[in-house]
Amino acid sequence: MSDGGGADLPADASYSGETAPNAKRLTPASVLQALSTQARVIQALVLRDTLSRYGQHKLGFLWALVEPLVMVSVLVGIMSFVRTGNPGGIPLVLFMITGFVPFTMFRNPLNNMQGTIEANRVLLGFPQVTTFDVIVARCVLECAVLLVVFPVILIIAHAFGYDIRIENPLGVLAACLLLMTLGSGLGFLFAAVSPVMPSIRQVTTPVLGRPLFLSSGLFFTADSLPTAVREWLLYNPLLHLLELLRTEFFYEFDSPYGDWGYASLWAGGALALGLLTHQALRKRAIVGL
Amino acid sequence: MIRLQRVCKRYRTAAGVRTVLQNVSITFPKGHSVGILGLNGAGKSTLVRIIGDAEPADSGNIVREGRVSWPLGFTGGFQGKLTARENARFVARIYGESPRYVEAFAEEFSELGRYFDVPLHKYSAGMRGRFAFSVSLACDFDYYLVDEALETGDARYKEKFRRAFEERRESASVILVSHNEQTVRRNCDMAAILHEGRIELYDELKEAMRHYKYLQTRVA
Repeated sequence: MSDGGGADLPADASYSGETAPNAKRLTPASVLQALSTQARVIQALVLRDTLSRYGQHKLGFLWALVEPLVMVSVLVGIMSFVRTGNPGGIPLVLFMITGFVPFTMFRNPLNNMQGTIEANRVLLGFPQVTTFDVIVARCVLECAVLLVVFPVILIIAHAFGYDIRIENPLGVLAACLLLMTLGSGLGFLFAAVSPVMPSIRQVTTPVLGRPLFLSSGLFFTADSLPTAVREWLLYNPLLHLLELLRTEFFYEFDSPYGDWGYASLWAGGALALGLLTHQALRKRAIVGL
Repeated sequence: MIRLQRVCKRYRTAAGVRTVLQNVSITFPKGHSVGILGLNGAGKSTLVRIIGDAEPADSGNIVREGRVSWPLGFTGGFQGKLTARENARFVARIYGESPRYVEAFAEEFSELGRYFDVPLHKYSAGMRGRFAFSVSLACDFDYYLVDEALETGDARYKEKFRRAFEERRESASVILVSHNEQTVRRNCDMAAILHEGRIELYDELKEAMRHYKYLQTRVA
Protein backbone atom coordinates (compact mmCIF):
# COMPACT_ATOMS: atom_id res chain seq x y z
CA MET A 1 0.00 0.00 0.00
CA SER A 2 2.96 2.26 0.43
CA ASP A 3 2.95 2.20 -3.31
CA GLY A 4 6.71 2.02 -3.45
CA GLY A 5 6.67 5.61 -2.31
CA GLY A 6 7.97 4.56 1.05
CA ALA A 7 10.28 1.72 0.25
CA ASP A 8 11.64 3.49 -2.80
CA LEU A 9 12.18 6.86 -1.20
CA PRO A 10 15.22 8.64 -2.60
CA ALA A 11 16.50 9.21 0.90
CA ASP A 12 17.08 5.55 1.52
CA ALA A 13 17.52 4.38 -2.04
CA SER A 14 21.16 3.56 -1.67
CA TYR A 15 21.08 0.78 -4.21
CA SER A 16 24.33 -0.46 -5.54
CA GLY A 17 24.74 -0.20 -9.29
CA GLU A 18 23.69 -3.07 -11.51
CA THR A 19 22.00 -5.28 -9.02
CA ALA A 20 19.46 -2.69 -7.98
CA PRO A 21 16.18 -4.54 -8.13
CA ASN A 22 12.97 -3.05 -9.34
CA ALA A 23 11.11 -5.33 -6.99
CA LYS A 24 11.61 -4.18 -3.42
CA ARG A 25 13.25 -6.53 -1.03
CA LEU A 26 10.94 -7.12 1.87
CA THR A 27 12.94 -7.20 5.05
CA PRO A 28 11.54 -6.24 8.45
CA ALA A 29 13.76 -3.15 8.38
CA SER A 30 12.55 -2.00 4.97
CA VAL A 31 8.93 -2.56 5.90
CA LEU A 32 9.42 -0.57 9.08
CA GLN A 33 11.13 2.19 7.13
CA ALA A 34 8.30 2.31 4.61
CA LEU A 35 5.70 2.39 7.35
CA SER A 36 7.41 5.22 9.17
CA THR A 37 7.68 7.21 5.95
CA GLN A 38 4.02 6.63 5.27
CA ALA A 39 3.04 7.66 8.79
CA ARG A 40 5.16 10.79 8.51
CA VAL A 41 3.63 11.72 5.17
CA ILE A 42 0.06 11.13 6.30
CA GLN A 43 0.69 13.14 9.45
CA ALA A 44 2.07 16.04 7.41
CA LEU A 45 -0.89 15.83 5.04
CA VAL A 46 -3.43 15.83 7.85
CA LEU A 47 -1.79 18.90 9.40
CA ARG A 48 -1.76 20.63 6.03
CA ASP A 49 -5.36 19.67 5.29
CA THR A 50 -6.43 20.94 8.68
CA LEU A 51 -4.65 24.23 8.13
CA SER A 52 -6.12 24.82 4.70
CA ARG A 53 -9.61 23.85 5.84
CA TYR A 54 -9.85 25.41 9.27
CA GLY A 55 -6.75 27.56 9.65
CA GLN A 56 -7.89 30.54 7.59
CA HIS A 57 -9.86 32.07 10.42
CA LYS A 58 -9.22 32.27 14.10
CA LEU A 59 -12.47 30.47 14.80
CA GLY A 60 -12.09 28.10 11.88
CA PHE A 61 -12.91 24.96 13.75
CA LEU A 62 -16.21 26.44 14.91
CA TRP A 63 -17.46 25.98 11.34
CA ALA A 64 -17.29 22.24 11.83
CA LEU A 65 -19.76 22.70 14.70
CA VAL A 66 -21.99 25.30 13.11
CA GLU A 67 -23.21 23.14 10.24
CA PRO A 68 -24.59 20.26 12.35
CA LEU A 69 -25.98 22.68 14.94
CA VAL A 70 -27.88 24.65 12.31
CA MET A 71 -29.07 21.52 10.53
CA VAL A 72 -30.27 19.86 13.71
CA SER A 73 -32.12 23.04 14.74
CA VAL A 74 -33.78 23.35 11.33
CA LEU A 75 -34.75 19.68 11.25
CA VAL A 76 -36.12 19.83 14.78
CA GLY A 77 -38.11 22.93 13.79
CA ILE A 78 -39.63 21.19 10.77
CA MET A 79 -40.28 17.94 12.60
CA SER A 80 -42.06 19.60 15.51
CA PHE A 81 -44.55 21.01 13.01
CA VAL A 82 -45.03 17.80 11.10
CA ARG A 83 -45.52 15.34 13.87
CA THR A 84 -46.67 15.13 17.41
CA GLY A 85 -45.19 13.05 20.19
CA ASN A 86 -41.66 11.81 20.53
CA PRO A 87 -40.37 9.31 17.96
CA GLY A 88 -39.63 6.05 19.70
CA GLY A 89 -40.12 7.72 23.06
CA ILE A 90 -36.96 9.81 22.54
CA PRO A 91 -36.98 13.60 22.99
CA LEU A 92 -37.10 15.12 19.51
CA VAL A 93 -33.87 17.13 19.83
CA LEU A 94 -31.87 14.10 20.93
CA PHE A 95 -33.55 11.99 18.27
CA MET A 96 -32.37 14.40 15.59
CA ILE A 97 -28.87 14.74 17.05
CA THR A 98 -28.44 10.98 17.08
CA GLY A 99 -29.79 10.88 13.54
CA PHE A 100 -28.11 13.73 11.76
CA VAL A 101 -24.63 13.74 13.31
CA PRO A 102 -24.05 10.00 12.84
CA PHE A 103 -25.39 10.34 9.32
CA THR A 104 -22.72 12.94 8.59
CA MET A 105 -20.15 10.40 9.76
CA PHE A 106 -21.18 8.47 6.68
CA ARG A 107 -21.86 11.42 4.38
CA ASN A 108 -18.87 13.68 5.04
CA PRO A 109 -16.11 11.18 4.25
CA LEU A 110 -18.09 10.11 1.19
CA ASN A 111 -18.59 13.67 -0.08
CA ASN A 112 -15.24 15.13 0.83
CA MET A 113 -12.96 12.26 -0.09
CA GLN A 114 -14.00 12.29 -3.73
CA GLY A 115 -11.97 14.90 -5.50
CA THR A 116 -9.05 14.52 -3.11
CA ILE A 117 -6.70 13.39 -5.84
CA GLU A 118 -7.57 16.36 -8.05
CA ALA A 119 -7.27 18.78 -5.15
CA ASN A 120 -3.84 17.46 -4.21
CA ARG A 121 -2.43 17.07 -7.71
CA VAL A 122 0.56 19.28 -7.02
CA LEU A 123 1.53 17.31 -3.94
CA LEU A 124 1.73 14.08 -5.90
CA GLY A 125 4.89 15.53 -7.43
CA PHE A 126 6.61 14.58 -4.20
CA PRO A 127 7.67 10.97 -4.66
CA GLN A 128 6.74 9.88 -1.16
CA VAL A 129 3.24 11.34 -1.40
CA THR A 130 0.92 8.82 -3.02
CA THR A 131 -2.74 8.97 -3.97
CA PHE A 132 -3.37 6.54 -1.14
CA ASP A 133 -1.78 8.93 1.35
CA VAL A 134 -3.77 11.99 0.32
CA ILE A 135 -7.06 10.08 0.42
CA VAL A 136 -6.30 8.52 3.79
CA ALA A 137 -5.25 11.89 5.20
CA ARG A 138 -8.55 13.44 4.12
CA CYS A 139 -10.42 10.49 5.60
CA VAL A 140 -8.59 10.80 8.92
CA LEU A 141 -9.39 14.49 9.12
CA GLU A 142 -13.09 14.02 8.31
CA CYS A 143 -13.54 11.24 10.84
CA ALA A 144 -11.49 12.89 13.58
CA VAL A 145 -13.47 16.11 13.29
CA LEU A 146 -16.78 14.28 13.63
CA LEU A 147 -15.56 12.21 16.55
CA VAL A 148 -14.99 15.51 18.33
CA VAL A 149 -18.12 17.23 17.04
CA PHE A 150 -20.52 14.51 18.22
CA PRO A 151 -19.63 14.68 21.95
CA VAL A 152 -19.35 18.47 21.81
CA ILE A 153 -22.88 18.71 20.44
CA LEU A 154 -24.12 16.35 23.13
CA ILE A 155 -22.47 18.56 25.74
CA ILE A 156 -24.14 21.62 24.22
CA ALA A 157 -27.50 19.83 24.34
CA HIS A 158 -26.78 18.94 27.95
CA ALA A 159 -26.05 22.60 28.70
CA PHE A 160 -29.48 23.41 27.29
CA GLY A 161 -31.05 21.13 29.84
CA TYR A 162 -31.47 17.87 27.95
CA ASP A 163 -30.78 14.83 30.02
CA ILE A 164 -28.07 12.83 28.33
CA ARG A 165 -27.39 9.38 29.63
CA ILE A 166 -25.80 6.94 27.27
CA GLU A 167 -26.76 3.33 27.85
CA ASN A 168 -23.75 1.80 26.12
CA PRO A 169 -21.07 4.25 24.95
CA LEU A 170 -18.96 1.52 23.35
CA GLY A 171 -21.92 0.36 21.33
CA VAL A 172 -22.50 3.92 20.14
CA LEU A 173 -18.84 4.19 19.22
CA ALA A 174 -19.02 0.91 17.32
CA ALA A 175 -21.98 2.16 15.30
CA CYS A 176 -20.11 5.41 14.59
CA LEU A 177 -17.04 3.51 13.41
CA LEU A 178 -19.14 1.36 11.09
CA LEU A 179 -20.80 4.47 9.65
CA MET A 180 -17.35 5.97 9.04
CA THR A 181 -16.05 2.77 7.52
CA LEU A 182 -18.99 2.59 5.16
CA GLY A 183 -18.64 6.26 4.17
CA SER A 184 -14.87 6.06 3.85
CA GLY A 185 -15.04 2.90 1.76
CA LEU A 186 -17.38 4.57 -0.71
CA GLY A 187 -15.31 7.75 -0.43
CA PHE A 188 -12.25 5.76 -1.45
CA LEU A 189 -14.17 4.30 -4.36
CA PHE A 190 -15.29 7.68 -5.67
CA ALA A 191 -11.94 9.33 -4.95
CA ALA A 192 -10.29 6.71 -7.13
CA VAL A 193 -12.87 6.87 -9.91
CA SER A 194 -13.36 10.62 -10.15
CA PRO A 195 -9.99 11.50 -11.79
CA VAL A 196 -10.75 8.93 -14.49
CA MET A 197 -14.44 9.81 -14.75
CA PRO A 198 -15.00 13.34 -13.40
CA SER A 199 -18.73 13.28 -14.13
CA ILE A 200 -19.28 10.81 -11.31
CA ARG A 201 -19.10 13.64 -8.82
CA GLN A 202 -22.24 15.20 -10.21
CA VAL A 203 -24.02 11.92 -9.66
CA THR A 204 -23.08 10.93 -6.15
CA THR A 205 -24.88 13.64 -4.22
CA PRO A 206 -28.30 13.56 -5.94
CA VAL A 207 -28.35 9.83 -6.62
CA LEU A 208 -26.74 8.56 -3.45
CA GLY A 209 -26.73 11.35 -0.90
CA ARG A 210 -30.30 12.61 -1.01
CA PRO A 211 -32.24 9.34 -1.13
CA LEU A 212 -30.09 8.04 1.70
CA PHE A 213 -30.68 11.21 3.67
CA LEU A 214 -34.41 10.56 3.47
CA SER A 215 -34.44 6.80 3.88
CA SER A 216 -31.87 6.15 6.59
CA GLY A 217 -33.98 6.79 9.63
CA LEU A 218 -32.94 10.33 10.44
CA PHE A 219 -36.61 11.25 10.68
CA PHE A 220 -38.25 8.01 11.72
CA THR A 221 -37.75 4.75 13.51
CA ALA A 222 -38.04 1.49 11.60
CA ASP A 223 -40.80 0.48 13.97
CA SER A 224 -43.03 3.36 12.87
CA LEU A 225 -43.00 2.28 9.23
CA PRO A 226 -45.61 0.14 7.47
CA THR A 227 -44.33 -3.42 7.16
CA ALA A 228 -43.99 -3.39 3.37
CA VAL A 229 -41.99 -0.16 3.36
CA ARG A 230 -39.86 -1.31 6.25
CA GLU A 231 -38.91 -4.52 4.50
CA TRP A 232 -37.57 -2.52 1.59
CA LEU A 233 -35.84 0.16 3.60
CA LEU A 234 -34.09 -2.42 5.72
CA TYR A 235 -31.88 -3.18 2.73
CA ASN A 236 -30.28 0.16 3.56
CA PRO A 237 -27.40 -0.52 5.98
CA LEU A 238 -27.56 3.06 7.25
CA LEU A 239 -31.03 2.44 8.65
CA HIS A 240 -29.64 -0.56 10.49
CA LEU A 241 -26.79 1.51 11.88
CA LEU A 242 -28.98 4.37 13.07
CA GLU A 243 -31.38 1.93 14.72
CA LEU A 244 -28.44 0.22 16.40
CA LEU A 245 -26.90 3.49 17.46
CA ARG A 246 -30.11 4.73 19.09
CA THR A 247 -30.65 1.37 20.74
CA GLU A 248 -27.20 1.57 22.29
CA PHE A 249 -27.64 5.24 23.15
CA PHE A 250 -31.06 5.44 24.81
CA TYR A 251 -32.35 3.48 27.76
CA GLU A 252 -35.91 4.04 26.61
CA PHE A 253 -35.40 2.86 23.04
CA ASP A 254 -34.89 -0.68 21.85
CA SER A 255 -35.15 -1.68 18.22
CA PRO A 256 -35.26 -5.27 16.99
CA TYR A 257 -34.46 -4.22 13.42
CA GLY A 258 -30.81 -3.22 13.53
CA ASP A 259 -28.51 -6.04 12.51
CA TRP A 260 -24.81 -5.69 13.38
CA GLY A 261 -23.81 -8.47 11.03
CA TYR A 262 -25.61 -7.01 8.03
CA ALA A 263 -24.22 -3.52 8.65
CA SER A 264 -20.68 -4.80 9.21
CA LEU A 265 -20.85 -6.77 6.00
CA TRP A 266 -21.73 -3.62 4.11
CA ALA A 267 -19.04 -1.58 5.80
CA GLY A 268 -16.37 -4.19 5.17
CA GLY A 269 -17.53 -4.72 1.62
CA ALA A 270 -17.52 -0.98 0.87
CA LEU A 271 -14.03 -0.61 2.29
CA ALA A 272 -12.71 -3.55 0.30
CA LEU A 273 -14.35 -2.30 -2.88
CA GLY A 274 -12.96 1.19 -2.36
CA LEU A 275 -9.40 0.01 -1.70
CA LEU A 276 -9.41 -2.46 -4.57
CA THR A 277 -10.76 0.13 -6.99
CA HIS A 278 -8.10 2.57 -5.89
CA GLN A 279 -5.44 -0.08 -6.38
CA ALA A 280 -6.74 -0.83 -9.85
CA LEU A 281 -7.01 2.79 -10.98
CA ARG A 282 -4.19 4.57 -9.19
CA LYS A 283 -1.80 4.53 -12.13
CA ARG A 284 -4.38 6.06 -14.40
CA ALA A 285 -5.44 8.55 -11.77
CA ILE A 286 -2.15 10.44 -11.82
CA VAL A 287 -1.84 10.64 -15.59
CA GLY A 288 -1.71 14.09 -17.09
CA LEU A 289 -0.32 16.01 -14.19
CA MET B 1 24.45 8.53 -10.17
CA ILE B 2 21.02 8.06 -11.61
CA ARG B 3 20.58 5.38 -14.21
CA LEU B 4 17.56 4.61 -16.35
CA GLN B 5 17.50 1.19 -17.96
CA ARG B 6 15.11 0.43 -20.79
CA VAL B 7 12.42 2.68 -19.40
CA CYS B 8 9.11 2.81 -21.26
CA LYS B 9 6.18 5.13 -20.69
CA ARG B 10 2.96 5.34 -22.64
CA TYR B 11 -0.17 7.34 -22.13
CA ARG B 12 -3.62 6.49 -23.28
CA THR B 13 -5.15 9.69 -24.58
CA ALA B 14 -8.25 10.53 -26.53
CA ALA B 15 -6.05 10.66 -29.63
CA GLY B 16 -4.79 7.11 -29.07
CA VAL B 17 -1.78 5.68 -27.33
CA ARG B 18 1.11 8.11 -27.10
CA THR B 19 4.60 6.82 -26.45
CA VAL B 20 6.55 9.28 -24.37
CA LEU B 21 9.59 7.16 -23.58
CA GLN B 22 10.59 4.17 -25.65
CA ASN B 23 13.28 1.94 -24.18
CA VAL B 24 15.17 4.88 -22.78
CA SER B 25 18.54 4.13 -21.18
CA ILE B 26 20.65 6.95 -19.86
CA THR B 27 23.07 7.54 -17.01
CA PHE B 28 23.34 10.88 -15.26
CA PRO B 29 26.82 11.02 -13.76
CA LYS B 30 27.42 12.61 -10.41
CA GLY B 31 28.89 16.07 -10.30
CA HIS B 32 27.57 17.14 -13.68
CA SER B 33 24.71 19.41 -14.56
CA VAL B 34 22.82 17.80 -17.37
CA GLY B 35 20.36 19.74 -19.47
CA ILE B 36 17.69 17.81 -21.32
CA LEU B 37 16.37 19.63 -24.36
CA GLY B 38 13.11 18.79 -25.99
CA LEU B 39 10.48 20.48 -28.10
CA ASN B 40 7.11 21.27 -26.60
CA GLY B 41 5.27 18.07 -25.83
CA ALA B 42 8.31 15.86 -26.22
CA GLY B 43 7.70 14.44 -22.74
CA LYS B 44 10.25 16.43 -20.76
CA SER B 45 8.10 16.91 -17.70
CA THR B 46 7.11 13.26 -17.73
CA LEU B 47 10.75 12.27 -17.89
CA VAL B 48 11.61 14.44 -14.90
CA ARG B 49 8.68 13.07 -12.97
CA ILE B 50 9.75 9.52 -13.69
CA ILE B 51 13.34 10.27 -12.66
CA GLY B 52 11.99 11.82 -9.47
CA ASP B 53 9.72 8.84 -8.80
CA ALA B 54 6.63 11.03 -8.86
CA GLU B 55 5.16 8.79 -11.51
CA PRO B 56 5.79 5.12 -12.22
CA ALA B 57 7.30 3.99 -15.50
CA ASP B 58 5.47 1.27 -17.42
CA SER B 59 8.55 -0.90 -17.53
CA GLY B 60 12.29 -0.71 -17.04
CA ASN B 61 14.60 -0.07 -14.18
CA ILE B 62 15.61 3.13 -12.46
CA VAL B 63 18.57 3.26 -10.12
CA ARG B 64 18.96 6.24 -7.85
CA GLU B 65 21.99 6.70 -5.68
CA GLY B 66 21.43 9.50 -3.24
CA ARG B 67 18.59 11.82 -2.45
CA VAL B 68 16.65 13.14 -5.39
CA SER B 69 14.57 16.30 -5.12
CA TRP B 70 11.00 16.58 -6.26
CA PRO B 71 10.62 18.17 -9.71
CA LEU B 72 11.12 21.88 -9.16
CA GLY B 73 8.92 23.93 -11.40
CA PHE B 74 6.50 26.79 -11.62
CA THR B 75 3.83 25.04 -9.61
CA GLY B 76 6.47 23.28 -7.61
CA GLY B 77 4.27 21.03 -5.54
CA PHE B 78 2.92 23.67 -3.22
CA GLN B 79 -0.57 24.50 -2.18
CA GLY B 80 -1.65 28.01 -3.06
CA LYS B 81 -3.97 28.42 -0.13
CA LEU B 82 -1.16 28.06 2.39
CA THR B 83 1.63 30.48 3.15
CA ALA B 84 5.26 29.91 2.26
CA ARG B 85 6.00 29.18 5.90
CA GLU B 86 3.34 26.48 6.11
CA ASN B 87 4.46 24.95 2.82
CA ALA B 88 8.09 24.90 3.95
CA ARG B 89 7.12 23.07 7.11
CA PHE B 90 5.10 20.57 5.11
CA VAL B 91 8.02 19.75 2.84
CA ALA B 92 10.32 19.40 5.83
CA ARG B 93 7.89 16.96 7.45
CA ILE B 94 7.53 14.67 4.48
CA TYR B 95 11.30 14.56 3.97
CA GLY B 96 11.89 13.96 7.67
CA GLU B 97 13.89 17.18 8.09
CA SER B 98 13.53 19.61 10.94
CA PRO B 99 10.60 21.91 10.09
CA ARG B 100 12.19 24.73 12.03
CA TYR B 101 15.47 24.58 10.15
CA VAL B 102 13.90 24.34 6.69
CA GLU B 103 11.54 27.17 7.49
CA ALA B 104 14.35 29.41 8.73
CA PHE B 105 16.66 28.61 5.82
CA ALA B 106 13.98 29.17 3.20
CA GLU B 107 12.87 32.42 4.78
CA GLU B 108 16.40 33.75 4.77
CA PHE B 109 17.46 32.48 1.36
CA SER B 110 14.32 33.34 -0.58
CA GLU B 111 14.45 36.99 0.54
CA LEU B 112 10.67 37.10 0.39
CA GLY B 113 10.45 39.21 3.54
CA ARG B 114 6.94 39.66 4.79
CA TYR B 115 5.59 37.76 1.79
CA PHE B 116 6.77 34.63 3.54
CA ASP B 117 3.52 34.71 5.51
CA VAL B 118 1.28 35.36 2.52
CA PRO B 119 -0.61 32.53 0.76
CA LEU B 120 1.32 31.32 -2.27
CA HIS B 121 -1.47 32.00 -4.75
CA LYS B 122 -0.75 35.69 -4.31
CA TYR B 123 2.81 35.15 -5.54
CA SER B 124 4.17 35.93 -8.97
CA ALA B 125 5.74 33.05 -10.89
CA GLY B 126 9.16 34.43 -10.06
CA MET B 127 8.52 34.56 -6.35
CA ARG B 128 7.13 31.08 -6.40
CA GLY B 129 10.23 29.80 -8.14
CA ARG B 130 12.41 31.54 -5.59
CA PHE B 131 10.52 29.91 -2.79
CA ALA B 132 10.62 26.43 -4.35
CA PHE B 133 14.38 26.61 -4.83
CA SER B 134 15.03 27.92 -1.36
CA VAL B 135 13.10 25.06 0.21
CA SER B 136 14.84 22.48 -1.93
CA LEU B 137 18.26 23.90 -1.06
CA ALA B 138 17.37 23.61 2.61
CA CYS B 139 16.77 19.91 2.17
CA ASP B 140 20.26 19.12 0.86
CA PHE B 141 19.55 16.85 -2.07
CA ASP B 142 22.17 15.08 -4.13
CA TYR B 143 20.15 15.62 -7.29
CA TYR B 144 18.05 18.63 -8.10
CA LEU B 145 15.41 18.02 -10.75
CA VAL B 146 14.47 21.26 -12.44
CA ASP B 147 11.53 21.68 -14.75
CA GLU B 148 12.03 25.00 -16.57
CA ALA B 149 11.87 27.03 -13.40
CA LEU B 150 15.33 28.56 -13.59
CA GLU B 151 13.85 31.02 -16.02
CA THR B 152 11.82 32.69 -13.33
CA GLY B 153 13.11 35.39 -11.05
CA ASP B 154 15.17 38.43 -11.82
CA ALA B 155 18.77 38.35 -12.98
CA ARG B 156 20.27 38.98 -9.57
CA TYR B 157 18.35 36.15 -8.03
CA LYS B 158 19.12 33.74 -10.84
CA GLU B 159 22.76 34.50 -10.20
CA LYS B 160 22.32 33.72 -6.52
CA PHE B 161 20.93 30.29 -7.33
CA ARG B 162 23.60 29.55 -9.85
CA ARG B 163 26.20 30.32 -7.20
CA ALA B 164 24.40 28.17 -4.67
CA PHE B 165 24.41 25.24 -7.08
CA GLU B 166 27.99 25.99 -8.06
CA GLU B 167 29.01 25.71 -4.41
CA ARG B 168 27.29 22.38 -4.18
CA ARG B 169 28.72 21.06 -7.41
CA GLU B 170 30.92 18.67 -5.41
CA SER B 171 28.01 17.12 -3.61
CA ALA B 172 25.00 17.95 -5.75
CA SER B 173 24.05 17.63 -9.39
CA VAL B 174 21.35 19.22 -11.45
CA ILE B 175 19.12 17.59 -14.02
CA LEU B 176 17.28 20.28 -15.89
CA VAL B 177 14.74 20.02 -18.67
CA SER B 178 13.94 22.90 -20.95
CA HIS B 179 12.88 23.73 -24.45
CA ASN B 180 15.17 26.73 -24.27
CA GLU B 181 18.78 26.18 -25.31
CA GLN B 182 19.88 29.40 -23.58
CA THR B 183 18.82 28.00 -20.22
CA VAL B 184 20.78 24.83 -20.83
CA ARG B 185 23.83 26.68 -22.13
CA ARG B 186 23.96 28.87 -19.05
CA ASN B 187 23.38 26.23 -16.39
CA CYS B 188 24.68 22.92 -17.66
CA ASP B 189 27.89 21.29 -18.72
CA MET B 190 26.30 18.36 -20.51
CA ALA B 191 23.20 18.11 -22.62
CA ALA B 192 20.81 15.47 -23.87
CA ILE B 193 18.01 15.68 -26.37
CA LEU B 194 14.65 14.02 -25.93
CA HIS B 195 12.88 13.48 -29.21
CA GLU B 196 10.16 11.06 -30.29
CA GLY B 197 10.53 8.84 -27.26
CA ARG B 198 14.30 8.52 -27.48
CA ILE B 199 17.01 10.30 -25.61
CA GLU B 200 20.61 10.92 -26.55
CA LEU B 201 23.31 12.25 -24.25
CA TYR B 202 26.07 14.41 -25.72
CA ASP B 203 29.35 14.97 -23.94
CA GLU B 204 29.85 18.20 -25.79
CA LEU B 205 27.35 20.95 -25.17
CA LYS B 206 28.05 22.40 -28.62
CA GLU B 207 27.19 19.23 -30.41
CA ALA B 208 23.86 18.98 -28.62
CA MET B 209 23.04 22.57 -29.49
CA ARG B 210 23.80 21.99 -33.12
CA HIS B 211 21.57 18.94 -33.23
CA TYR B 212 18.76 20.67 -31.34
CA LYS B 213 18.83 23.60 -33.74
CA TYR B 214 18.51 21.14 -36.60
CA LEU B 215 15.46 19.53 -34.96
CA GLN B 216 13.77 22.86 -34.43
CA THR B 217 14.14 23.95 -38.02
CA ARG B 218 13.05 20.56 -39.30
CA VAL B 219 9.80 20.62 -37.35
CA ALA B 220 9.04 24.19 -38.33
